[in-house]
Amino acid sequence: MFKWLLLNWQSILVGSILLLGLVVIIKRMIKDKKSGKSCSCGCEGCALSSQCHGKDKKDSEK
Amino acid sequence: MNIKIALAGNPNSGKTTLFNALTGSNQFVGNWPGVTVEKKEGGFKNHDGVTIVDLPGIYSLSPYTLEEVVARNYLINEKPDAILNIVDGTNLERNLYLTTQLTELGIPTVVAVNMMDIVRKNGDIINLKELSNAIGCPFVEVSALKGDGILEAAEAALQAAKDKSSLKTYNFFSGIVEHALAHIEEATVHGLTQEQQRWYSIKLFERDARVLEELKLSDEQKAHIEEDIKSVEAALDDDSESIITNERYNYIEQLANRCCVKKNKDKPTISDKIDSIVTNRILALPIFAAVIFLVYYLSVSTVGTWATDWANDGLFGDGFHIAGKGEYETALETYMEENLFNNQQLGDILANAEKDGIVGAEVLGESFHSGDYGEFSENYDSYGANLDEQGYAVSKIVSPILDSAPQPSDYGKWILGVPALLDKLLLDSQGEPVIAPWMYSLIQDGIVAGVGAVLGFVPQMLMLFLFLSFLESCGYMSRIAFVMDRIFHKFGLSGKSFIPILVGTGCGVPGIMASRTIENECDRRMTVITTTFIPCGAKLPIIGLVAGALFGGAWWVAPSAYFLGIAAIVISGIMLKKTKAFSGENSPFVMELPAYHMPTLNSLVHATWERGWSFIKKAGTIILLSTIVIWFANSVGTVDGKWIFSADMDSLSGESLVQKIGNAFAWLFAPLGFGTTTATVATLMGLVAKEEVVAVFGILDFGGMNALAGYSFMAFNLLCAPCFAAMGAIRREMNSARWTAFAITYQCVFAYSVSLMIYQFGNFFAGNANIVGIIAAFLVLIFFVFMLFKKPYMKKGK
Repeated sequence: MFKWLLLNWQSILVGSILLLGLVVIIKRMIKDKKSGKSCSCGCEGCALSSQCHGKDKKDSEK
Repeated sequence: MNIKIALAGNPNSGKTTLFNALTGSNQFVGNWPGVTVEKKEGGFKNHDGVTIVDLPGIYSLSPYTLEEVVARNYLINEKPDAILNIVDGTNLERNLYLTTQLTELGIPTVVAVNMMDIVRKNGDIINLKELSNAIGCPFVEVSALKGDGILEAAEAALQAAKDKSSLKTYNFFSGIVEHALAHIEEATVHGLTQEQQRWYSIKLFERDARVLEELKLSDEQKAHIEEDIKSVEAALDDDSESIITNERYNYIEQLANRCCVKKNKDKPTISDKIDSIVTNRILALPIFAAVIFLVYYLSVSTVGTWATDWANDGLFGDGFHIAGKGEYETALETYMEENLFNNQQLGDILANAEKDGIVGAEVLGESFHSGDYGEFSENYDSYGANLDEQGYAVSKIVSPILDSAPQPSDYGKWILGVPALLDKLLLDSQGEPVIAPWMYSLIQDGIVAGVGAVLGFVPQMLMLFLFLSFLESCGYMSRIAFVMDRIFHKFGLSGKSFIPILVGTGCGVPGIMASRTIENECDRRMTVITTTFIPCGAKLPIIGLVAGALFGGAWWVAPSAYFLGIAAIVISGIMLKKTKAFSGENSPFVMELPAYHMPTLNSLVHATWERGWSFIKKAGTIILLSTIVIWFANSVGTVDGKWIFSADMDSLSGESLVQKIGNAFAWLFAPLGFGTTTATVATLMGLVAKEEVVAVFGILDFGGMNALAGYSFMAFNLLCAPCFAAMGAIRREMNSARWTAFAITYQCVFAYSVSLMIYQFGNFFAGNANIVGIIAAFLVLIFFVFMLFKKPYMKKGK
């Protein structure tokens, strides 16, 4: 096991970085989607963004 | 305690600029109506518990348009603590109409006279004290764009919100009207609070249907107030709504004469002089065409290309020189002249391939004989593999020559590009990966190639956004909406449809949503269907890719893509308007042309970066994930009927999953000239995000597509169904699965028809006509002509 780790440490390191990056991206996308920050076109500056995203819409209806 | 201050004013009076300055937000600012369709809230900077609400621009509080309804409902039902009414100081008379209505709502109001810098520059004088006395609320000078007086105006509104004792109601109407209003007040709304009575009595006098419904008056009360209204109407010989409107305007006119001194009252302004040329009946369109041509030409073919070439070949290629580039180029030129362009055997192979009509042989041969290595290298990258496949083994000769060519890193100061830098980190001295080969392939052939291909277009995109932001900010794009309205009207369309198209040049989603300002349902649906025909920012890389790779950066390709979009909108509009589902009168379009002004560098950079940054973020998220999916699908496949995973499927002579998917749909695009695996996969992936089209070509080969097929491919991808996000917006705006399905089907069928005609007629004129294809294209053309010239559908009885 140790030998295998020693032989493949570079792959494990790069693979871990890749995996971590992917997890961060997916988490960020889900978070953005929920908070109404993501669209195909960065809708932070869009006057109509609250119409696209459920949470914002509820907030504006309150 | 939470204090709410509402920003209200006419469209394009500077509300959103003020909102951004007060709250530190980055709301999109535009100088055409409909930019703000719904209210936006934000905290007042450095003032805890104070919320600023940006309302849509409105001319009055009548409930006729969506913006008016949104603003009016908010002011009446949610009752903010104060209103900060922004008025355009250069057009005071028209702006004060809304002000007189706002002061009747019983909400403390402060009027911010915006654009005072221009007022002063014009030499005009506004007596704010006199205005304040006549309207009954404080007037403050501001220049939202320059940031002058903004804080003072907001502080004044905050003070007014806290000190409600200052609330005054002024009477703007003649004695007979005031008398009737007093009667109505007494008979119907006496139970309401003192501040609300005036507004409700005026609305009842105007017979406002929504107010009548809201107050639920008895028949007796209705009959009583009707008597009062009718007696005034008889006395003034007009209907009640017009009486109120006219008397307001009369009051404002007298007030403006008293309080405003215009230096050059009847002289045309600089804006008027410019407008006499750019909105001229004959010159407007050619000028618009020239401006758009220039914008796309500069963005894609010149400045943008230099930057994009650097990004593609340098940053996401081998690397770039900081110094010593000239030295390297001289050495390379000499080497190629001696070894490549003097190679007789290569010349003979290319001549034979050209004689046999092999795709790419002619251009490669031309660049071989011209001795231009840059051109040769580009053509070799595009067509070399195709020539090899056809049995003309050019790579056997070219590859060894290229391998021994001078290395750029040997000359001057050479900075490694991202792939080269990664190679340095991930390859050992023998050139073998130090990590698992599949992981190396995922990083280099998948992520870096795919994301790099998309990011390479960032400079072009920033250039385009900079130019478009300039045209929007200086006021020219508003003129285009006006010019297009004139043309659209001739075909039974509304100029209102052009506003979503202007918004759609950035992104299709807000463009589609901006269609909600169109009252006519048929026109609105039609606009939703056609808005995404205009190339959005995400489609620019497709244009750049085709223009660069297949047309050698030809000047006309990028502008033609924009004009193709405009033509598609006009043609679709005319055709759809002739059908029963879209027939009918079009909605009127009223818009104010803002005065031309030089945008500030800060606002331009901000608008450009806002759009560019969202593109970069997208490349780092959805595009990156998609490139991994494509890479994986390209690495999984069957060899001898067994499913295997290999980072290099091509070498196993099997068929990858990408190829299987591509081949399953490729036949569909064969009549359009791009029935190849890569082009098919790229088109399908374009549904995730349009940048994906370019990312796919970064991972997979171009596949021997010729220029005509490339243009047809570009046309199809510009006009077909947009990305999923835009399709979602279509679904929301249509609020009907049936209409959404129709919209997407129409877009795909229209795109298919246009691409079919481009490819088949193009081949026909090039002498390579396919008889079935040309007949199909001709039938489509006849259908288009028939729809364009057929009589409009008329409802029975009309």
